[in-house]
Parts: sequence; structure tokens; C-alpha cells
Amino acid sequence: MSSSNIGYICTRQQCEHGLADKTALRYVDADLSRVDFTFAQLDAASNQFANALKETGIQPGDRVFLFLPKQPEVFFAFLGTLKATAVAGLLFSNFGKEAVYDRLADAGARVLITKQSLFKRIREIWPDLPALEKVILTDLPAHESDCVLSYSQLVDHQSAAFEVPATTPETPSVLHYTSGSTGKPKGVLHVHDSIHHQRLTMEKVMQIEPDDIFWCTADHAWITGTTYGIIGPWSKGITQVHYGGNFDTQAWFDLLQQERVTLWYTAPTALRMLMREEDKINGRYDLSALKRVYSVGEPLNPEIVHWARRVIGREIYDTWFQTETGAIMITNRPGMAVKPGSMGKPVDGIEAGVFTEEGNPSPANESGSLRLKKGWSSMFRTYVNMEEAYRSKFHGEFYDTGDRAQIDQDGYYWFIGRNDDVINTSGHLVGPFEVESALLEMEDIVDVAVIGAPDEMLYEKIVAFVTLKDHLEWSKRLEVKARIHVTKRISPIAVPSEFIVMDKIPKNRSGKIMRRVLKARYLGEDAGDISTLED
Amino acid sequence: MSIKEELTKVFEEVFDEDQLELTPETTANDIEAWDSMSHVTMLMAVEDHFNVEFEQWEIMNLPDVGALLALIEKKTAKKN
Repeated sequence: MSSSNIGYICTRQQCEHGLADKTALRYVDADLSRVDFTFAQLDAASNQFANALKETGIQPGDRVFLFLPKQPEVFFAFLGTLKATAVAGLLFSNFGKEAVYDRLADAGARVLITKQSLFKRIREIWPDLPALEKVILTDLPAHESDCVLSYSQLVDHQSAAFEVPATTPETPSVLHYTSGSTGKPKGVLHVHDSIHHQRLTMEKVMQIEPDDIFWCTADHAWITGTTYGIIGPWSKGITQVHYGGNFDTQAWFDLLQQERVTLWYTAPTALRMLMREEDKINGRYDLSALKRVYSVGEPLNPEIVHWARRVIGREIYDTWFQTETGAIMITNRPGMAVKPGSMGKPVDGIEAGVFTEEGNPSPANESGSLRLKKGWSSMFRTYVNMEEAYRSKFHGEFYDTGDRAQIDQDGYYWFIGRNDDVINTSGHLVGPFEVESALLEMEDIVDVAVIGAPDEMLYEKIVAFVTLKDHLEWSKRLEVKARIHVTKRISPIAVPSEFIVMDKIPKNRSGKIMRRVLKARYLGEDAGDISTLED
Repeated sequence: MSIKEELTKVFEEVFDEDQLELTPETTANDIEAWDSMSHVTMLMAVEDHFNVEFEQWEIMNLPDVGALLALIEKKTAKKN
């Protein structure tokens, strides 16, 4: 039954297929120094972690969270957690303490793996997390107490062999949190069966070959980073490169050249930043090994496709999926003409459609709600503790993505926007409510409303409308204070790019913020029907 | 307090670090929370703290703390 287990498939099964000595992970540091791990080493290291979890009393189904920047232990601990049939939760390392607390509390996390510099945020919230029993620090040389453990001390003496317990296709595997229009982020739960569709997309979309070198630049806490930076490539025995440094045009292209990356999966914001520094790239790099580039997270502007053809000499294939879908659903891919700006067409086995408000298929070139017929293996199985919200996402046999799209006469899908107020900034979904809640905690701000507005670099930027305490004036100091506050509470991703001071936030008579009105005013458009506006 | 010491305080506040030791060679790769998003906040905080204004072209290429220190020194010297 272990043959259903993602951790097993990504490591031991590859060894059994004769790839034990093949490089699985090439970890490249910020200074471009590298360390390689074979599939056999990945198997052993993840087995040791699974044994360590067993020693700490972790049971199948328990939630184990990772709160780390990219480093080799992320991969060992993630796969070890799955092997132990515990559920792996992933947190961005730039999350503020409120964001971390919300997720750990909702999930009832029992174990957290982090590092000393991030542990400070945990210490402050730990007393309010009764389920959290142990914190494991990757850079602590020795155990600090029974609850604060050293990764190396815990793992080093463990056996490199681990008997993966019975795992069914429906055994829960990975837990990601995603933001909605209102309320706290929702825990999106996947199961081990997800690997089938994830593998299929590696074959049909990425069209991988055994000698490929795959680089997915996404953070592992993002669904893309989990599916295509861990599971997908290793489930097919492919060597992956991971980079531990920050975004830097020169470093990224040095890495593409040095490691002879063949398949590169990245995001439009990163590509737009590279476009801006074209002079650092043009003609300076040998990218002969690079076969294709894929993009995800936000719609890919046609300009980027044309730029890549001209400067990199490669096609960029835009892909579309969500945390809830677990893997690519609609995509451009080799063998299919790319219409720049289009999402492409559904992956084999995926039935998608665009529907009117009445639930009928929209005519060609008319926008509607993008829905997917349920049944693909990487579909989420629930929102943790929010079964009603989960059920509300389905209309009969179809999952409603919350996105609006249209299909042209050739069957290509085109992204139009969201059906809700969630903001997509650099590929990250941010709920306006989270940002508003954080800003309202500041004593200088008495009311606030947050919207997303189009942005050339970020796709959407966060704009905050604020009402200040009497006689207070907006200043750079106040803006810095607000930005730091949002960073510490949520994350730097949630920091508004713009603050606009208003006398009063427009609300309807029930007190609901009229974001539509704010957005129209911001964009200089007609706000439409404002009859429900209070006063 | 020297400019470097003052800058350290600003960095500690923006990046939520307790005991930073800045050197001219410190880069974004050396500070956990220093990424492209928090970089903007850091520059605004520096402008506010030192009461200076940066031009876009001046901050396009700031490879390390040394370059930022030099820029602050130039700006504050001009004012005085």
C-alpha cells in the first residue's frame, strides 16, 4: 500500500527504478556554490525524519508544519512527514506572527519545523497554540528542552530505513492555506492520490525527458513550489535545481547557464523584472541547454511572450491552476500553437467550461464563471474546519474556481478576472479583509478599505483607503509604520503599495465596504449603481 | 550615533531582527526578511529616518549595505 504514498514514490520508488545514484536535488546557495543529493540520499534523509517524527509521538493524520526558507531540510522533512502519513503544512518564511498563528491554530499543528531567526515569532504565539507540542529548529546544535528540539540531534541517530505505513489514495497529504474575500485563510487539504494528476502534467505539459534539469523558482509554501518544486519532478525521477538566494537577475541567469537547466518554471512578475533588466541578459549567457520556459501565478502578458522569443529565444508556456486544483488544469504546451495572452486549453482528462450566472455554458467569446468537472485526482478534498465553504464551491458536478474567463472560437481559454475581491499580487492571493484587519489595529487609523488595482509589475497591487484619527495627517512616518505593521502581522506580500486618505469609507446601509465603488473611483471609471450607498 | 549604527536600528525595526550586525558587505541574502517586497519599506524607512529623498536612479543598483551607506552619507552631507 506504500505505493500510493507521495514520499515513497518520490524517493524509494525512484531508487527501485535504478535511479539511486542519480542526483535528485542540486541545492545552489546564494553564492552559487552547490551541494547534490542523490535519490538514495533523499530517501535516507526523509526516512530519518519520518523515524524522528515517530519518536516524537506523531500519529497518522497529525499536522506537521514547515516554516522555513528554501534549504535542504525542507525537502527531507516534507517527504519524511508524508512517509509517516502525517499531513505536511507549509508556511511562507516571510509570514508575520498573525498569519502563522491563524494557520497553526486552525490546523491544530502538533509539530513545527523552523529555524532560530524565525522562532522568535513562534515563541510569542506558542502559549495560544495548545496543540503545538514540539518545535524543531534546523540550526540548533542541541535540544533546548523537551519541546524545543535540535533537528540534527533528533535526526542524526535515526535509522535510514523506514517502513512506510499503509497509505490509501485518500490518505490526507498536504495542507496549504489560501485567502478568501472575507474571513480567515482557508486550509486546502489534498490527498496522496494527487500525485497521479501531478505526474500526468509532468508528462503532458512539461513533456519531461529523463535527462532534464528542472528548475521551479516558486517557494515551496506555494502550491506551485510543492507540486512542481518537489512532487512532480521527483515522482518522475527528474533532477531538480533549487536556489537558496533572493531574486537577482544576474544570479538567476548564472544559475540557468551554470546548471544547464532544461525546463524552467517561473512567474510573470519575475519575468517582468527580468525584462526590466534586459541589458544584463542580452547576449551574455549560453542558454543552449534551456528547452522551454513555463509560467504560472498570474496571466502572462503577450509582451513577455514576445520578449522571451526575442531575448531568450524560447517559448514561454503559460499554465493555470489554483491551490484547490493541486496541479495544472488549463495550459499552453508544446505541440499547440501559443496565442500570447491566452491560458491555453484544458489538460487531458480535465473537463472545463465557462458558465453564465444561470449555470448554462457561455457562448464563445463571452465571459462567465470558470468551472471544472470534479473527479481529477489532485482536487482538494475539503477546507479544514469549513465543510460548508467547501460544499459551496461546487455546482452540481462542477467546481467553481472563482475566476472569470472566456473561450474563443478555437477553444482557447482567456482569463478575465476574479469573481470575488481576492487580490492576486505577484501570484499570491491576498484577502482584503486580512489587510484591513491588520491596519485597523493601528491607533492612527479609524477605518480602512482595501482593493486590488492593475499594476504593470505585480499584475495587481494592493491599495488601501484609510480614514485617520481627527487632525492627523498622512506622513511618510505613518506609512512606514503601517507597512511594518502589516509585514509583522501578515507578510510583506500583503503590504499596500498605495495609501489613500479619505474622509469616509463608502459602505452600503448594512455597513459593508463598497469596494466596487472604490475601485471605480480609483480607476476613474463610472461606479455604476450606488443606490445602496449609505448617506 | 554613527550613520551605520542608525541604519542598523532602522534595519532591525523593518526586518524585525534583534541584534543585526551590518557590514558594508551585507546583502539581501544575509538578512532573512530582506526581499524585494520589504526592500521598498526599508528604503522608505531610511528616507524618513535620515530625512532624505532618494531618486529612482539612485536606488536602482544598491548591491549591498556599503552602497546604501555611501548614498546616505552623500545625501546627509549635502543637507549640512
